[in-house]
Parts: sequence; structure tokens; C-alpha cells
Amino acid sequence: MTTPTSRAENAKLHVLDRFRKVNQTFPKTDEILGYESQGKKVFGWVCTYAPEEIIHAAGALPIRIVGYSHETDLEDGTAYLYVNNCSFSRSCLQLGLRGEYEFLDGVVGGSTCDGARRLFDLWRNYIGTPFHHVLTVPRKYTERAHNLYHDQVRQFHRHLEEFLDIQITDEALRHSIEVYNESRRLLKALYDLRKLSAPPITGAETMEVLNASFRMPKELFNDYLRELMDGLSTSGNSYEGRARLMITGSHLTNPEFIKSIEDTGGLVVTDELCTSTRYWSDPVVLDGDQTPLQAISKRYLNNFPCARMFPSDERFDRILNLARDFRVEGVISQIIKYCVPYAHDRPLLTEKLQAQGIPTLSLDVEHGTSGSGQIQTRVQAFLEMLESRQR
Amino acid sequence: MTSTKRKVNKIDALLRACRLMLRMSKARPEARKSEIMYYQMLADYYTRLLNAREAGDFVAAHTVFFPSEIMYAMDIVPMHLETTSWMTALFLGEYADLLAAGAELGLAPEICSPHRGLAGAFATDALPRPDVILWSNMVCDNTAKSGELLMKLTGCPGFFLDHPFQNTEGEMNYLVEELADMVRFLEEQSGRKMDWDRLSQGVARMDRQIELLRQIGKLRQAVPSPFHPQGFLELLTIDYLFAGRPEATEYLETLRQELAEAVSQGKGAVPKERFRLMTLFLPPMYLIGFLERISQEYGAVSVTEPFFCSWGEGRLDPSKPLESVARKSYMLPEMRMYGPLDDRALSEIVDSAKQYKIDGAIYYADIGCRHTCATIKLFKDVLDELDIPVLILDCDVVDPTIASEEEIRDKLERFFELLEDR
Repeated sequence: MTTPTSRAENAKLHVLDRFRKVNQTFPKTDEILGYESQGKKVFGWVCTYAPEEIIHAAGALPIRIVGYSHETDLEDGTAYLYVNNCSFSRSCLQLGLRGEYEFLDGVVGGSTCDGARRLFDLWRNYIGTPFHHVLTVPRKYTERAHNLYHDQVRQFHRHLEEFLDIQITDEALRHSIEVYNESRRLLKALYDLRKLSAPPITGAETMEVLNASFRMPKELFNDYLRELMDGLSTSGNSYEGRARLMITGSHLTNPEFIKSIEDTGGLVVTDELCTSTRYWSDPVVLDGDQTPLQAISKRYLNNFPCARMFPSDERFDRILNLARDFRVEGVISQIIKYCVPYAHDRPLLTEKLQAQGIPTLSLDVEHGTSGSGQIQTRVQAFLEMLESRQR
Repeated sequence: MTSTKRKVNKIDALLRACRLMLRMSKARPEARKSEIMYYQMLADYYTRLLNAREAGDFVAAHTVFFPSEIMYAMDIVPMHLETTSWMTALFLGEYADLLAAGAELGLAPEICSPHRGLAGAFATDALPRPDVILWSNMVCDNTAKSGELLMKLTGCPGFFLDHPFQNTEGEMNYLVEELADMVRFLEEQSGRKMDWDRLSQGVARMDRQIELLRQIGKLRQAVPSPFHPQGFLELLTIDYLFAGRPEATEYLETLRQELAEAVSQGKGAVPKERFRLMTLFLPPMYLIGFLERISQEYGAVSVTEPFFCSWGEGRLDPSKPLESVARKSYMLPEMRMYGPLDDRALSEIVDSAKQYKIDGAIYYADIGCRHTCATIKLFKDVLDELDIPVLILDCDVVDPTIASEEEIRDKLERFFELLEDR
């Protein structure tokens, strides 16, 4: 298993328990319900192309709609979305159908993938959330695509203003950009610590932090994260493993999945997921005479790309850079069954990683899987193969 | 990413199958004239494709809903990828080798089978190498994601057409500019210039074809319905392969005339029409012959297919050819399923059910098609409100291992019994 190096037991960081509590009680967390009890609005968003800063600048709380972070039957989700839609979408829908997101005042999505857009369609038809907005998200990075997306972002901004009967000012947007960029800076600093030969935090612990990042007010999250960074700098904690690993794929929110890999001895040092680097990695850059909305739309379309974007090399190059920066020895490509964009990319990405001497373990999983049993066996075999290469 | 190369030319085999169907149709005295024209057109399509290399033609392989009008206007030979996939299953009844080759490439079984098969086909040289690959996100992630792998497998350059999700003015302009980029790409690659007059003529014919398709749809509302039980597949193929072509207009004129005569004579396509059906999505291609037979046997006719045959409102303007090609893409029946799933899709089901006086609906739940299957519950609820029973058939459009003929027969027979009892 991943082992502490400096002492028999690494110091316990209590702030991590606060992140865990948020995650364990989500969606109906004290933070969200407390926010709502003050008469403030809460909006759920699906997919990393939904610009959170605009919701935040409207004085509302943006939270990410996610499914169960553990294995469970998806009876309702499957009945409505059918078994060939990814278990992430079915899991989200099931939580919605069971009233777990009943506090939401609105839902915001994008035309990102078939699973997400159909989730949005069924949500609108069967779950009585008052506000719905879907953004057309181009699949290219051209100037034309940026103009189209900027137009979409402006439409969303206007729609939200109309719904809330308020004006979302540039000043409020600038403040929200600052809050969100601070969060991104802190998460980058956390990830930089994972570049160390013996990082002070495990991959599973990092996932607790990431999960909380989109489930609570950003200002509070930033406070917690600053506290964690302080704690890490003085804790002297350090971890080593049999091999330095990166996890790639779409959604992953179950820390137990990563823990099971780390229990086998792998050290997860970085990841390329909708719920990790793809969520936080790029800041909104306000420069020149750009309006805040222009800066926001530019950031969201140019951000660490999803497999939906064209050309795929943009994504592949970023993954190769991560692998180099974090000195990754092996990649675990976990793809949720029926996640077509990532499944299509897999042969091409595997080949590119192979060309860099980085082997890939491909795992087809269901959303929320804990990574026990067969998965652990396969990770074990993968680590043995990586070790044999080191000798 | 490796694959064993096995040279089996599916186009050659398809062409032989089309010619056989043509001969058989000609030999049947009761065969429709339009049916003979249809098989002749298919034979011509694959002949041109087969001979393209020798003839020095430029071949563009493209995904479904790609505007082939543009290719015809540039004298480029189109290769419709998904239709070629379906035809392989329909006429040749063989697909396992292509799926196996796709699996060898590392493509997960959850990827839709026509696209896995296409990758397998190019990896094994079962399809001839085109000169360019054109693909778009119309209408799902599979079409959006298939192009880059095909480019790699064939070594061809490619163009991705980014089709916006919704139908605002800004998105329409975006699409027109994307189309203009594609024309420039094709000009550079092929060395041929776009013939704008020819494109305008194609658009004018397409406008006429859409009108004819609407008229044919109206004729199919008659009781008994004049068109054969799985006839809509012909209409699909005509638009997919021959959009804006003169022969397509001729075919549709002929078919409309035949159906009008049948309606005036009160003549149905099956001996005794008992069940009028709505078809939701594509039936398994490898079972089309069987479906035609069982439909005849039970007097069950697909009279309406809202997402294949109900064209949106509007006209095309030949003086604005590129804008018209973009506009057409939003008028396509399939577009009701693209974009946000709102009244465009749901009200069409209700309207079609009433106008075509349907007794039941068959939903072909293609295991590889996520964006359609996600609508099963929604569409069933809409039809339940109209007291119309729905049969959901789990299947795959080309892979016979998902549902056998016996299973489908058993379910269809029970469904027909239920309809009879009502």
C-alpha cells in the first residue's frame, strides 16, 4: 500500500474531516441548506462548460450536480434514461427523481455529450426545477467558435438576470472571477505538492478536497483549503508508492476508488478528470479591454478540454504534459461504460502514451464504483508490470 | 493500435447484392417502378464508388446527415459511411468480421456498432481508402468522435463540421461559415472548384424533394396505407445518398404517383391492413426481410416515423445555396431529436399519432444508441396519454448477436395479439 515515509503514522489533518463531512452529506449539506434558509438561490450545473462565476455574481450558490459517490442500484435512473446511458447521468437523474436536489432553483447545462444533454432533457421533463438553461458549446477552439460561445454566455447571463429580476454587474463578475481564481490558485498549489517525490497528501485525500470544491460556497472552500495548505506545510507528512500513477477519464467522485489503488501500493499523483484538473486548472484571465463575460467565455471554451472537443490532440498534449510534470510511470484510464467520447479517444491516447514509454491500464467502470475486487486485482498486476520495468 | 489486414471489399459485395435485388425486382411483375429505380440508383451509387479510383474521381467519406449536395456540386464522389455500414448488414448479412476488427483496435463494445464496424472496415481494407474524411456532430457523440480515428486508419486528411446544438440566428450563421470552410477544404484537397450554379440547382431540386416527401407523408395517412411496411427505409436512403440529385426527384415523383393511384383505388400495401404502426428509430438491418414478411403476414404497416419522415417547416432558397444547406439541416426530421428535446419532438409524436391513426408504436431500442434510448420513457409516457401501446424491442442496428429473429418474432407476435385484443 501507499506508505508514509517519514514516520510510522502521518499526522491527521482535521480540516480534511470538514471536507469529508460536506461530501458525506451532499446534496443536502448544512452549507447548502443554510444558504437557502437565508432566502438565497441555489443553482445546479452539469458539466465543466457551465460558467459558475455568472451564477455566483448573481448572488446565488452554484453547486455541481453529481450522482452517488458510491456503488448503488440505479433503478429509477435506468428506468428513465435506459441502461445504455452512462451511469453518471443515470445516477444524477436518480438523485433528482428522489428529491435529493429539491432545493435547486435552477439547472444549467451545456450541449456537451449525449449523456449530459439527455440528462438535462429528462430533468426538465420530470423534475420540477423552476429555471433551466442549456448553452450550445462549440466543439472547436476557433475565433468563430469563441464568438458563438461568448454569445451563448451572454444569453445565459441575460436569462439569469430576467429570472432573478436583478442586474448582474461587471463589478460583481470581477469579484466572482477573483474568488474562483483564488480557488484555482490554491488547488494548483495543492497539486504542485503532489509533484514531490514523496507528496504530503494522497490521491484519495485530494479527491475529498476536489469533491467539496464544487459542493459548497467557494469562499468557505477557499478558507478550508488555505487551512489545509498550512497544515500540509507543517505536518511533515509524506507518502511513497510502488509507482507514480495518473488517472484519466470523465467523472470520478468516489475517493474509495483511488484509495483501493493506493492500498495496492500505487501512488496517485495527478489526474485528468471532469472532477479534477479539467474543473479547476485554468484561471479566468482579465486583460486589456475585455469584458468579464468575454474573459469568462474564453476561459471556459479554452479550458483543459473534454474528449468532446476537436482536435483531440489539445487534450492529449495536456495529458502528456501532466505525465511529464508529475513524473508519471503509469496511467489508469477509467472510463464509465457508455461514455462514448472517452471510449473513442482511448486507442489514440493509449498509443500516444505508449510512444512516451508510459503504459496504460484500461478499466471500464460504473460511476461510483469503489475499485474493489476485480479492479484491485488488475491494478495489482499493472503495478507488478510497472515494477518489472523499473528493475 | 494494431489490426490484421484482411482484404475483403465490401463495396464490391454490396454492388453485387444491389444488382441482384435489381434483377429480382425487375423479374417481379408486381414490383413498383419506383422500387426498380431505387435499386438502380443504389447500384449506380456503389458502381461509381467502386470505380472511383480508376476513373480518377475524388472520394469523400462522410458521416450521416452530412450535406452531400455540396459534394455533388463539386463532382466529388460521396461515400456515406453509416449507410454503407447498414447496407452491409442489410444486403450481406455479415458484420461480425468488421466488429471483431473494431474490437482489435481497442474500441469498447459500448461504442455504436456501425462506427465500430466502420473503423474495423478501414483497418482491414474492407472499404476502399477515400481521399478525405468528413464528419460532424450531427447527431451524436459517435459521429462527432469517429472522424479522427478514421483519419488515422486511412491516412486521409479530414474536416470536422461543428454543427451547433440549437437553432438561433447566431448558430445558423456559425453553421454557414463552417460549411464555407468545408468547401474551401474540399477545394484545396480535390483541386476542384465549387460550382455555385450547380449547388443552386441541387438546392432547388432538394426543395422540390422535401415537398415531395411531405406529399408522400400525407398519402401515407390514408387507410389502408399505400406504402409497404418498411418503405420508409427507402425514403431515408434517398435523402442520405441522393440529396438534390435529379434521379432522387424522379424517384420521388414516381413513388408519389404510385401511392396516389393506390390511395384513389383504396389499395393498401398489405393484403389486409390490421395494425397501423409508428416506428421509432431504426429497426435491425439484418432483419429487414423478416420484418417485411411478418408485417405482411399480420397486416402491420409502419405508417409514420416522426424522426425519419416528418420534415420541418420552411423552404430552401436556391439563390442562397449555402444558407439553404444549413437551413435544411435544421429541417431534417432527425433534427427533432437533436437540440433540446422539447415540443419539437414531443408534439410531433402526438400529432403523428393522431394524423396517421396509429394503433401502436414500435420503439427499436438500439443498444448502441444512447441519445435515442434515453427518450424511451419520455416518448412512452406521451403515447400512454393517448392510450397507444408501445413495444420496446431491444436490438442493435447491425449486430445480430443482440437480438435474434426468434426473439423479435416472439415479441412482435405478442404485441400484435395485444393490439388485436384491444
